[in-house]
Amino acid sequence: MNTKQLNILLADDDKDDRLFFSMALEALTIPTKLATVVDGEKLMAYLFENEQQLPDVIFLDLNMPRKNGFECLLEIKRDQKLNQLPVIIFSTSFEQDVVNMLYKNGAKYFIRKPSEFLQFKKIIQQIFTLISQENMQNPSRENFVLTV
Amino acid sequence: MTSIKKPDEEELVITRKELALQKEEKEKLVEELIIARKELAFQKEEKGKRAAELGIANIELAYQDDEKGKRAVELGIANIELAFQDDEKGKRAAELGIANKELLFQNEEKEKRAAELSIANKELLFQNEEKEKRAAELGIANKELLFQNEEKEKRAAELSIANKELAFQNEEKEKRAAELIIANKELAFQNEEKEKRAAELIIANKELLAFTYISSHDLQEPLRKIQTFVTIILENENENLSENGRYNFQRMQLAAGRMQLLIDDLLAFSRVATTELIFEKTELNLIIEEVKADLKDTILEKHATIEVTEIGSANIIAFQFRQLMYNLISNALKFSNPDIPSHIIIDSKIVKGVKLNNEKLSPEKNYCHITVKDNGIGFEPHFSDRIFEVFQKLHGKEVYTGTGIGLAIVKKIVENHNGIITATSELNKGACFDIYIPAG
Repeated sequence: MNTKQLNILLADDDKDDRLFFSMALEALTIPTKLATVVDGEKLMAYLFENEQQLPDVIFLDLNMPRKNGFECLLEIKRDQKLNQLPVIIFSTSFEQDVVNMLYKNGAKYFIRKPSEFLQFKKIIQQIFTLISQENMQNPSRENFVLTV
Repeated sequence: MTSIKKPDEEELVITRKELALQKEEKEKLVEELIIARKELAFQKEEKGKRAAELGIANIELAYQDDEKGKRAVELGIANIELAFQDDEKGKRAAELGIANKELLFQNEEKEKRAAELSIANKELLFQNEEKEKRAAELGIANKELLFQNEEKEKRAAELSIANKELAFQNEEKEKRAAELIIANKELAFQNEEKEKRAAELIIANKELLAFTYISSHDLQEPLRKIQTFVTIILENENENLSENGRYNFQRMQLAAGRMQLLIDDLLAFSRVATTELIFEKTELNLIIEEVKADLKDTILEKHATIEVTEIGSANIIAFQFRQLMYNLISNALKFSNPDIPSHIIIDSKIVKGVKLNNEKLSPEKNYCHITVKDNGIGFEPHFSDRIFEVFQKLHGKEVYTGTGIGLAIVKKIVENHNGIITATSELNKGACFDIYIPAG
């Protein structure tokens, strides 16, 4: 396990989900620093403001006001400075078509938000493990969707 | 007589006798002389008559001489006439010579003609024979025709009866047709109305399914959060809760879990009904393998064997068909007989519609017939249609989890493939699902 502190950016308009996420992070043994934004516009603004100190990983909700997750993903992947950022989709819904499109558009992993807190923790742990192991190599399609 | 005299009496007797005889003789002579005189007188008379006749004859001769002179003159004339006639005959003979030559030529010509006629006759004879043969054949043919004619007449008589019958029926049909035209107009109007209603219903249905989809989708989030909070409380506040409080939270968790299942199934159902249908040639075996991988744990738990016998490819909407196979196989596993290992047999074959004996299938088309058969608890035969309806369940949720949507999704998917699905079963005798989709 990498001992270096992980900088995490979470874009989610849902207060409860942001709470679950931070609770799960607290429960983990990995040193992390969490920043949160509440919509797509704020996410992009945050990224452009912090170009010099980009997060290690972005957790991106899809259904957000003003600018949704799909748009943000496209913008990030088209931007030369941002396109190396690992974007992990964190969504309630699970649609095969949507998942395919996200994979094609360069998202790193897809996580369906679990309904049990224990699973929540496990899946975030799993992500950090994977991210520290892989060197920015995108997973194959069959490993794109993470399940507990 | 007189000179010879003999002296004796005898001699005298003889001489007397002799003298008597001579006297007799003299008397006879006198008599003869009388007669001769009479003869001479008659002859003299006759000579007078002859002389008279001669005089007449002379006159006659003189006349005849005269006549002869006349005849001689006539003969002279006749001779001249003959000479003329001779001359004429000579002329005639010359003419006859010419005429003979002419006749000779004509004869030759006639012989040629005769030869030609002989050939022609032979030809005619041959033709005659042929004609007789033909005539004999015609005779047979005539008999045949005669027989056929008779038959035709019989048929004609029958047809005439049938025609009358048809004419009557035609009239009836025309009446019916007129009635039908009116009825048709009525139906056309009703059809239009129905089409309007159907179009409205299709729109309403789509709206309803879209609504189902959106609402189900949006219901997921608050439900998930309830579930997460419950687990957080159970995890973090476990020691602060009473036994009863923990039990109630667990019940809440179960209820939320069922709601999640329901929402997932409703989403799947409305998705199957609303998404675009893209058909592609797909190996059914690949789909079954994927489903088996998804259900790996349940298969182990139920000690199930899934036997795929004969399986080919089909023109299908792949992701929907995966869902279909998933639902059928997971159903078979769920409703397995707890006393025996679950055994599921899947096969597919191409069958001509006419052999399937189902009025909903076109006899000319080929169908891909897929069978999923299990040895589970089955169901009573009268439920075989109802199990495909939304929310229809045959068991309480405490016994078998589920929402009653799984088979409705299966049916919808089969319909999306323009096919039909049937279920056959008896209680505790396993269930068999037959799917027929048009083979590409």
